[in-house]
Amino acid sequence: MIEWSEQHKQIRAMVRRFIETEIVPKREALEFGDTPPYDVLRKMLATFGIGEMNKAMFLKALEKEKRGEGTASLESSGKGGPAAADARAMQMIPIIELCRHSPGMVTALGVSIGLTAGAIMKRGTTAQKERWVPPLLTLEKVGAWAITEPGSGSDAFGSMKSTARRDGDGYVLNGSKTFITNGPYADTIVFICKLDEGNPEHERKILSFVLDKGMPGLVQSPPLRKMGLHASPTGELFLEDVRVGKDRLLGETEDQPARSSAKETFTAERTGVAAMALGIVERCLELSVDYAKNRVQFGRPIGEFQLIQLKLAKMEIARMNLQNLVFRQIELAGAGRELSLAEASAGKLYAAQAAMEVALEAVQLFGGNGYMAEYQVEQLCRDAKVLQIYGGTDEIQVSQIARSLLA
Amino acid sequence: MKILVPIKRVADPDNANKVKISGDGTEVTSEGLEWKMNPFDEWSLEAALRLTEDGKTKSRVGEVVVVSIGPKDAVATIRQGLAMGAERGILVEGEDKKLDALVVAKILQKIVEKENPDLVVLGKQTVDGDSNLVGTYLAEFLGWPVANYATSIRTSDDGKTLTIVRELDTGAATLEVKGPAVITTSDRILHPHAVKNGVTPDDFAYPESEGGRYASLKGIMAAKKKPVEETSAAALGVDAAPQVSYVSFKLPPARSGSTTFVESAAELVQKLRNEAKVL
Repeated sequence: MIEWSEQHKQIRAMVRRFIETEIVPKREALEFGDTPPYDVLRKMLATFGIGEMNKAMFLKALEKEKRGEGTASLESSGKGGPAAADARAMQMIPIIELCRHSPGMVTALGVSIGLTAGAIMKRGTTAQKERWVPPLLTLEKVGAWAITEPGSGSDAFGSMKSTARRDGDGYVLNGSKTFITNGPYADTIVFICKLDEGNPEHERKILSFVLDKGMPGLVQSPPLRKMGLHASPTGELFLEDVRVGKDRLLGETEDQPARSSAKETFTAERTGVAAMALGIVERCLELSVDYAKNRVQFGRPIGEFQLIQLKLAKMEIARMNLQNLVFRQIELAGAGRELSLAEASAGKLYAAQAAMEVALEAVQLFGGNGYMAEYQVEQLCRDAKVLQIYGGTDEIQVSQIARSLLA
Repeated sequence: MKILVPIKRVADPDNANKVKISGDGTEVTSEGLEWKMNPFDEWSLEAALRLTEDGKTKSRVGEVVVVSIGPKDAVATIRQGLAMGAERGILVEGEDKKLDALVVAKILQKIVEKENPDLVVLGKQTVDGDSNLVGTYLAEFLGWPVANYATSIRTSDDGKTLTIVRELDTGAATLEVKGPAVITTSDRILHPHAVKNGVTPDDFAYPESEGGRYASLKGIMAAKKKPVEETSAAALGVDAAPQVSYVSFKLPPARSGSTTFVESAAELVQKLRNEAKVL
């Protein structure tokens, strides 16, 4: 059986204290003032030694890679064991804690480290890893992973218009991307596009390039206004004849298994949503229980009314289920296994819907207060919605699950 | 320099409004509340860590031993101290109910006699009992000098001589104390320049903080492997019984929580005087 260990609880207490001291008082600025989240995230990584620890681990693995012993990544060896389970738990605790107050922070951090550094670690050459990964791990540099386009969302590869054309030793890149997390501030961008050899679009190879901020022809838009997740800046990228050398082509080969690589990325992205949803649901439940005990109507606390009790009970059920999903991931890491794409999709679908339902019910339970920005459930409710959209919409998760059932 | 830091676990003071009183009114029940390190103890531990390190290079130059008296699961509080940077821990098993300041001081006396620290640094009070007694009792039993409510500590010879500033209602008093000594600290000990040990450069400023340092992930992992010795009052040869017994407890009256907006300072004064009757 898995339970949070004494050590896990200690980490949780420390991270919670940091968030309550450093992030909660800045809520106004982060939520309504366009303040980017990176300074406070950097401080968090530095305070707990997370960035430096990851960087040291990565550099050690990179030295090994140079000697021809394995490939450098931050992923567990795949052998499992208690240390791997512990490492996974320690990865999830800060996600849960951050999501209690600011799911946007997790998105900004996850995209920079998990997706951007993750993609370079997975597919890059040794030289590319050495060049781009270490500063991403400490958030000294901010990363973005650019796949979505105005005309390509769920059908990411099929409708993709961005192109790379061969040009001498290098390539010329064109296209526009949208809904790119960290896009407005990113220093390092993984840009996914199709190799245009004059062949039909559906036959084109998928390539990824690593771009730096300020390259001629690359424009990063200011943050887009959006419904929620305000702590995570989202923007557009425009590329017009951006010239790059082969050293920026991820893996330095045109024969990348890019589609399967993106799928691995989707699995990782979806896996993280259970922990995010747990944070949102935990907080909504905590606030709701408190409110139900203290809000008096018709001469008694509203928690004494059965309709309110039903809401609280359903929230608790969601919390238990989500915690079990998180524990399942810890257990799998201990066994040296990962979720399959279909399992990750099922978990993500449930987690996103549970978070949305709970947050909406929390707003309802708070009544007029719930609709006011002053009460935090209003923000969590707006933030939760994105979980049903990004990392694959609910509808895409359904088709992924069905495809694996009917295969 | 070796410093002994006694730490106590208390019911989370941030949730003090959730404290309940048992049916017969003779006991405070803290069921369902999380345990935390007594904040004053956390701050004294921070002071002890600053005294035994080079703050600039973050390297340890002395030893901090944390000791807690309580039930077995108080070891979690000790681990928290170890995660912050203390080297060793001692758990003296005991039942919270059978402890008062006198018993605690007698147990600590035995630990000090065994450990021979250069200093004992502890919080000036706990936020549950609030009796402010243990430091003074302990110094008396040891025959050591005591400096209470310290807001700054300066030493350059491993605690053999100490310059301590104490905060009083009438101002600040500066003391020179010969070690070994007992020091109880106030929250001001967290000031970026409050602790100087002759190793950390004098112009080095610790970050502004309202609490002790955060344990790093590495620190938390390392704490698991640091030694924690378990003992008991009986094993230490202390058979004192508490001399204070609590007769009854009463919760403060519930607050009405109503808010009134006023137009001017004059109106505020008038309301405070005539309606709230607090002026």
